[in-house]
Amino acid sequence: MQITDLQPISGWGNNFHSRSARATATSIADLQEFVAKLAPSRGLLPVGLHRSYGDSALNSGGILIDMVALNQIEIDPLTRIAVVGGGATIAALERAALAQSLFPPVVPGTGFVTMGGAIAADIHGKSHHKTGSFSHCVRRISLLLASGEIAVFKRSDPEFWATVGGLGLTGIVLEVEIELRAVQSNAVDVSEHRVKNLSEMIDLLGRSDEDYEHTVAWIDLSGDYRGRGVVSLGNYGSTSVKSKDSRSNGPSLPSIAGKNFITPLSARAFNEIWFRKPLKNGAVALTQYMHPLDGVNNWNRIYGDSGFLQYQFVIDIGQEEIFERLFAGLRGLKAASFLGVLKKFGPGSQAPLSFPRAGWTLTLDYSMAVPGLEKFLRDFDEELVARGGRIYLIKDSRLDARLLPIMYPELNRWREMRSAMDPHGVWKSDQARRLQIC
Amino acid sequence: MLNGFKSMGRLALIGSGSEIGQAIIAKLMEQKKSEVIQVGRTGEFALDITDKSARERLVNQLFAKGDLDLAVIAVGVLGNNAEKSASENLLEVIDVNYLGTLHLLALIAERMKIQAHGTVLVISSFAQVRPRVDNFAYGSTKAGVDFYARGLAEELRGSGVEIKILRPGFVKSKMTAGMAIAPFAITSDECAKYAVRAITSKKVVTWAPSLLKYVAVVFATMPAPIFRRISQR
Repeated sequence: MQITDLQPISGWGNNFHSRSARATATSIADLQEFVAKLAPSRGLLPVGLHRSYGDSALNSGGILIDMVALNQIEIDPLTRIAVVGGGATIAALERAALAQSLFPPVVPGTGFVTMGGAIAADIHGKSHHKTGSFSHCVRRISLLLASGEIAVFKRSDPEFWATVGGLGLTGIVLEVEIELRAVQSNAVDVSEHRVKNLSEMIDLLGRSDEDYEHTVAWIDLSGDYRGRGVVSLGNYGSTSVKSKDSRSNGPSLPSIAGKNFITPLSARAFNEIWFRKPLKNGAVALTQYMHPLDGVNNWNRIYGDSGFLQYQFVIDIGQEEIFERLFAGLRGLKAASFLGVLKKFGPGSQAPLSFPRAGWTLTLDYSMAVPGLEKFLRDFDEELVARGGRIYLIKDSRLDARLLPIMYPELNRWREMRSAMDPHGVWKSDQARRLQIC
Repeated sequence: MLNGFKSMGRLALIGSGSEIGQAIIAKLMEQKKSEVIQVGRTGEFALDITDKSARERLVNQLFAKGDLDLAVIAVGVLGNNAEKSASENLLEVIDVNYLGTLHLLALIAERMKIQAHGTVLVISSFAQVRPRVDNFAYGSTKAGVDFYARGLAEELRGSGVEIKILRPGFVKSKMTAGMAIAPFAITSDECAKYAVRAITSKKVVTWAPSLLKYVAVVFATMPAPIFRRISQR
């Protein structure tokens, strides 16, 4: 495997970059030899499509191992088990599965996530209240350890749960075994509902848990910040629809001199249109429903050179008051979000670093250029922690390291498992350094 | 590590006795929260700047617990100790300002190059523009530091490591107490503002105040008789 010179690489938020070398994995045997022989002082980190927003997939001065070429997918239609390479994407798995009238039970908001990434973040989707996070449908992980050995971990192994949500810091996911679900068609029966404010939204989302496989709400975080929005509810449909091949990435945004297009005014205008747009009711292609933003190739560029951050947190049911506090603060900052998403989670997984757990999760996008945003979020984190909430690490680029063990109380247990799996600390990321994760 | 707002995680002030150095840290910490390591003559991170192995030990210590995002090197003596002879004073300014500073700079840059990120702020001086009778020994060391730092900054282009040079004029501080106040004099706090600007600037050299950039051109090219008269004041 060839190693490139150091080159600047940034996360999906495009807000900062670090310099690392890259090596591309072409076969498991090569990869195994590469990892066994090399012990670079700045460490190794497996990476996929760099959809993590912050520095989870960066490794300043170290080597990133590009996994996307190890992307084989084999599906047994009888057992509904898929054996998938660590570099295969969710989108590719969906295509292969749909051809057999199957579908992954848990898919995130973008299809451009590799299996390795999906495990490392323990991603979740609109079905979380029914299915839990990604690890729920994973039966087995084949992991390349720092020693160069390949180990297979089942759900009963602690190493399985250290790897789930483990931010790529326990080893390289070579292959996963995923249990797919049967679907009757390639479509979701969708019903959308406009709601005037946050309490209506919370009420409707809460009531829809039982009856709908997929629930999510788009929330308008601009203007008066009352939390109006559109609640989208869906169930797997029975009649297929024509759908675009998701392999064609759709249009790309032109990059106009790195300018930021998300201002309070444009966000407000966008949100107004989004709120008024005709509601979808009826059959929508699964892939389109699950990954609405994948239609535009590089939507992250609209924030220009300063980049943006995505802030996602979860808070227990009963702590909804925190939203009002947040909205009031954001209104004070004149910070308008172009993408606000509210979702009710079901119970979490047993992985120490997995993010989702029962409660409300809210996701916001902000340009890094919003004045006072850093301090505001720092203060908000304190309140979040005081109320027992936590943030999603795969989207983080700014958390105070001090708060990490409070948000993730099982961090030390994870650290012990990780030290046993990687005694010399071969797997490293900028996020791990910044947050002193390991 | 820097965070998404480019705020620093860990930084070190080498020369904790320096008023300018402390003012720079105070200015940086107004908006941001970082772990600050204070390196002085005593304390956990003690350093005898004139001792080669002490410098090496310190740099190992600085990088042992994590990445360093910024090092401010603010060590220096004027070399005007009345109790010492001119040659003794000369040796001291060379040891501290030149040898000590440059060796530290080189050691830190080496480590930052491995981590592929980091900034070092070096404090030069207006005194390096042209020799003046009252401070040319000091000026010569600052000229040497400035020259080397510019070269190093060039060598490190594209490595992720940045070397920034601050060239203050007369700064009212305990180091200059009792001296006649020169034109364009600034306080340590004002100097710190320029230093913070220097750290994030794309340029290698920042003058404090900015106007000194032009004053320096005039100074450097002025005929000797006029310069002599002006510098005697």
